[in-house]
Amino acid sequence: MSAITLKNVIKKYGAVQVVHGVDLDIDEGEFVVLLGPSGCGKTTTLRMVAGLEDVSGGELSIGGQVVNNVAPKDRGVAMVFQNYALYPHMTVKKNMEFALRPLKLDKAEVDKRINDTAAILGLGELLERRPVQLSGGQRQRVAMGRAMVRTPDVFLFDEPLSNLDAKLRTQVRWEIGKLHQRLGTTVLYVTHDQVEAMTLADKVVIMRDGYVEQVGTPEEVYTAPQSTFVATFIGSPSMNMIEAKVVAERLEANGFSMPLPDRFQGKVTEGQAVTIGVRPIEIKRVAASSTGAMQANVEVTEYLGNEALLDLRVGPHELVAEVPADQRVEPGKVIHIALNEGAIHLFDTVSGRTLSE
Amino acid sequence: MAYIRKRNKRIFLIFLLPAMLVLFLTTIYPMLYAGYLSFRSYDLAKLFVPRVFVGWSNYGEILGSSEFLHALVTTFKLMAMTLSVQLVLGVGIALIVTQKLPGMPLARTLLMIPMMISPVIVGLVWLFLYFPELGYLNYFLSFLGFDSIPWITSTDWALWAIAIADIWQWTPFVMMGTAAALQSLSPEPYEAAMIDGNSRWDVFTRVTLPQLKPVLVSLMFLRAIDAFKIYDIIFVLTKGGPGDSTEVLSMFIYRQSFTFWRMGVGAAASFVSLVIIVVLITLFFKSLNRDQVS
Repeated sequence: MSAITLKNVIKKYGAVQVVHGVDLDIDEGEFVVLLGPSGCGKTTTLRMVAGLEDVSGGELSIGGQVVNNVAPKDRGVAMVFQNYALYPHMTVKKNMEFALRPLKLDKAEVDKRINDTAAILGLGELLERRPVQLSGGQRQRVAMGRAMVRTPDVFLFDEPLSNLDAKLRTQVRWEIGKLHQRLGTTVLYVTHDQVEAMTLADKVVIMRDGYVEQVGTPEEVYTAPQSTFVATFIGSPSMNMIEAKVVAERLEANGFSMPLPDRFQGKVTEGQAVTIGVRPIEIKRVAASSTGAMQANVEVTEYLGNEALLDLRVGPHELVAEVPADQRVEPGKVIHIALNEGAIHLFDTVSGRTLSE
Repeated sequence: MAYIRKRNKRIFLIFLLPAMLVLFLTTIYPMLYAGYLSFRSYDLAKLFVPRVFVGWSNYGEILGSSEFLHALVTTFKLMAMTLSVQLVLGVGIALIVTQKLPGMPLARTLLMIPMMISPVIVGLVWLFLYFPELGYLNYFLSFLGFDSIPWITSTDWALWAIAIADIWQWTPFVMMGTAAALQSLSPEPYEAAMIDGNSRWDVFTRVTLPQLKPVLVSLMFLRAIDAFKIYDIIFVLTKGGPGDSTEVLSMFIYRQSFTFWRMGVGAAASFVSLVIIVVLITLFFKSLNRDQVS
């Protein structure tokens, strides 16, 4: 049993509270990613699960057992650290052996586990090397190997890819995904990189300022963001946000107007301040004569190969549109655009929460 | 550029000159003069007798004399006593004062004080403590119901008395070096070990100590070189006595030169001690290089 449950888990340093009552259920075998900007409390939450930080309040259980006061070593977890945390004076093999020492296995079993793990991770030829003789990607694999040999119930990853270059990051990310499919162990993974979260996670937990903003599958957090924070944090380039008012069944903003889509009928009140969210890819170029067409000045064009990003100005609003590369326009030109009404999101401006439900 | 570089070359010589002058007058010239003296017969009591060249006979005399060998053995004995205790205590205290506990920064500072005191003063302080009848140590021992110990008046205890004073003064040096090294170790491997469940003892012997080794080796070499030159504390506490029980090499040299006024023999003995120190220093740098290579 290796399900993890957090019930109103709190972390305080003196008078400063950094994690405000996190509730989270992680099923056995699930790959859960804690995602958020720096200082959002995601690493602190992970370290509480590991037992490296005390839990200031609430209840933390692993495998059905409350572990608030259980020593890290008795929680059945293994952790992969951001800076790998390898023992610098030990060879790769010794690093793994040292992790196995507390288990008091016989020599044959130790060798078997190390060799099996080395085979899975492709570390066979590196076993006699020391960390300083390895590249960043290799060190990361050794760190994972050291966690794997213990066959833990839960893997904890603390930003494991942030010290790798972009190319290697993609490769190791892919390896971690494969490894999870193969081992089926519960994983709790911390990152600030949405691509890692979207590609690896069964479930994404988006955190901000010590609060959980939204929990959901990668698809849910992308297609149905519950708040403006999630909406702008997930997706690249970010979702466009336009502050508007509901006036006579229309969304009116300075220099901008569109009918209120039917699905929001009854969910907004006349005069309510709302924020329209629209992803760059849902802004289309249209003919000047088509209904709902808005005039936009092209300020910057960014060519990305397959597509292009247009920085547009509509009245006082700045919008980014993602268009096929062949539809790109020179800066300074005037074009006409329309928002895909079926794909817009509506948020309450005051609370920042979605109005889509 | 070339002009400036040439000019700078001359300027740096001007800046170096005072330091080089002092170095020459206080170290290089006396060393050369001692080298010259070590091949001559020179009796300070007979100032006007010519200093005759006697070849290697001064060296022959000291290397064949049991007194010199005794002094050499005593020096190494004292070195072994002080270094072993300083290593264990220094590392132990460093482990305590680097913990994140209240009062530790203050403790660290206070513990450094002995190191900053002149060795002569340290000798005097310990003389008060060791004093046979009136010393504080024996007072406390009698207070606790123990017999008093003839700290500096018995051949069995005198070397230990000196060792204790030296340990008191120089353990902080080992502590400081070790504490600095401990604080530079990355905390993450310790967290990894905590999660993996490695025992404290395993972590200390297999993670901490191996990483401290280069620093500890350096500290021990520096202490060994210093221990070889120990003089002030012994001069104040025992002057090499009782008998010759605390006569280390530096005391032997002093006695030959300034008690018996046999400057040639004293100079030869100091040259032998110089050779030993040079060997120690060479080993020290070799060990530094080895650490860098690995």
